[in-house]
Amino acid sequence: MKILVLVKYSLDVAEIRVEPSTHALRMTGVPERFGDLDKGALQAAVELAQTCDATVEVLCFGPPAARAALKDLLAIGADEATVVDDPYGGAADGAVVARVLEAAIEKRGPFDLIICGFASDDGYSHQTGPRLAERLGLPLVSYACRIGLDDGVLVAERDLEEGLESVSVRLPAIVSVAEEAFVARPVTLLQAMKAQKKPTNTWEMQADLGLDKDALTQSASRSSVLTTEGIVVERQGRVLKAMELSEMADRLIDWLVAEQVLVQQGGA
Amino acid sequence: MMAGVLVWSETLELERELLGQAIRVCGQSPGKVSLFVDHDLDEAGLASFGANGADVVYVADAPVTSPAGWVDGLEAVIARTKPTLVLIGATKNGMEVAARLSERLQAAYGAWAVGIDVEPGDGAVTARCSLYAGSAMVSYRFAGALTVLTVAQGVFDKAELAGHIPRSESLPFPRTEDGVSVTGHAAEKTGGDRVGQARMVVDIGRGVKDLETVRPLAGLLEAQLGCSRPVSSDRDWLPDWLGLSGAKIKAELCLTIGISGAIQHVVGIRDSRLIAAVNNDENAPIFTQCDFGVVADLDQFVPVLISRLQQRGARVSDLAR
Repeated sequence: MKILVLVKYSLDVAEIRVEPSTHALRMTGVPERFGDLDKGALQAAVELAQTCDATVEVLCFGPPAARAALKDLLAIGADEATVVDDPYGGAADGAVVARVLEAAIEKRGPFDLIICGFASDDGYSHQTGPRLAERLGLPLVSYACRIGLDDGVLVAERDLEEGLESVSVRLPAIVSVAEEAFVARPVTLLQAMKAQKKPTNTWEMQADLGLDKDALTQSASRSSVLTTEGIVVERQGRVLKAMELSEMADRLIDWLVAEQVLVQQGGA
Repeated sequence: MMAGVLVWSETLELERELLGQAIRVCGQSPGKVSLFVDHDLDEAGLASFGANGADVVYVADAPVTSPAGWVDGLEAVIARTKPTLVLIGATKNGMEVAARLSERLQAAYGAWAVGIDVEPGDGAVTARCSLYAGSAMVSYRFAGALTVLTVAQGVFDKAELAGHIPRSESLPFPRTEDGVSVTGHAAEKTGGDRVGQARMVVDIGRGVKDLETVRPLAGLLEAQLGCSRPVSSDRDWLPDWLGLSGAKIKAELCLTIGISGAIQHVVGIRDSRLIAAVNNDENAPIFTQCDFGVVADLDQFVPVLISRLQQRGARVSDLAR
């Protein structure tokens, strides 16, 4: 059995700062990494593989820096990893990404099971699993928080707003995993050493997948960005420190009274 | 030129809000808003969708239980009505449906729209969408015959039209046989009132070690308790968390206790009128995003705040209730 895990090398959005006067985004120095959700998808695959003699591959459409970080994923338990170089600098349309991944999946596959996170940490548009389900004609189990295999049938629980939904589907299939449902364990030194010997592949879109960037953009991309700006919410921003606790409590209450959130009965 | 808007959500409240935005987008071209529903409607139900702005309601001829099925139904409506724009409620199933639909029909796609316009000249759809977990806003211009947008709850307002009765049509459509069978449901555990509509909120983070520290404070402030995602998932104290993947509040006051202020959490509280923060780390990002901050150990400060509120006879104003 072959399992493929799709991962994204994404921006750490918590580190994006906004220039207050211009609302410009300060993107330089914002770290990139494989997100927790991506590592969670891999963890889900590794746990499943232990129950059923399966191999686990990782596929990433990402920047050159992702190649070095692949060792982390191999240490978690992937057997082989492939990066397709992203000539769009992380800004490709979701429809474009789906076509690149589809081509790479067809070249590496076929796979019995494809697992990804329900969304990326930075884009957060929840597209990749659903788009691939349509393109590959495979069933999708989205937002899965538990998965298991029972005689070639995938059984899973979906973590939806109103509760858990139990589903089953015959393989091959695609699964997107829910937030925090699977958490990769810290890697041991032995795992890290073994990872050094595992195979990695670096592919180019054009040379290895036969996809021309301009032609692909032309045929798949349906949106153009007009403007991007950071969100600045104006706040009063007064902060008290190094004072008596009762003094700070009183000033907080005074402020809440002044803002008409609280009323005071019988004066101070 | 405006060829019409199709609306679908699995939740009623979102359907109503999306219909409101659909009639605003259609503007001067009435009669162009259609709604897809997967359940039978009585006359009152149909009339209520009319009052919210629907001109035609397409009713699935048999129940739909899977995202693939909703995509099939929407595809059938689109084939009939040829809309310019599809608005889909951004529930989890809704997000799957929207992305599948745009891939299947090679339509333009935008997630988390908060502003939508149709250009008067060529009818192109433009939208402002939330980006980078809510740190930024991106404006897109979409190309092609069809654009699919997802919209979260609470972004747009419902409309109320008097005496607007829509037409309803039964919609037969072929179903994708994807082999996924639903074998059971387990309802989410719920703990009292949901936090989404609350006017006063005490929002607790991982810094809070014991729920009993903050419960009396929430009581005095007549506040609902909210929390960050880790508190909800690790400690099982509260079912609802605030933030990107959880509830988003528009409170009068959100008092955060032990919240560090990561953007993934702040997007859930930043539409509140006032934000106050208590945290022992003066470098915590929450202090750059609040109106009033107190740098203090919460286990020491919260009891003092409670006793001062009591001693001063401070109560929640009618305005904040």
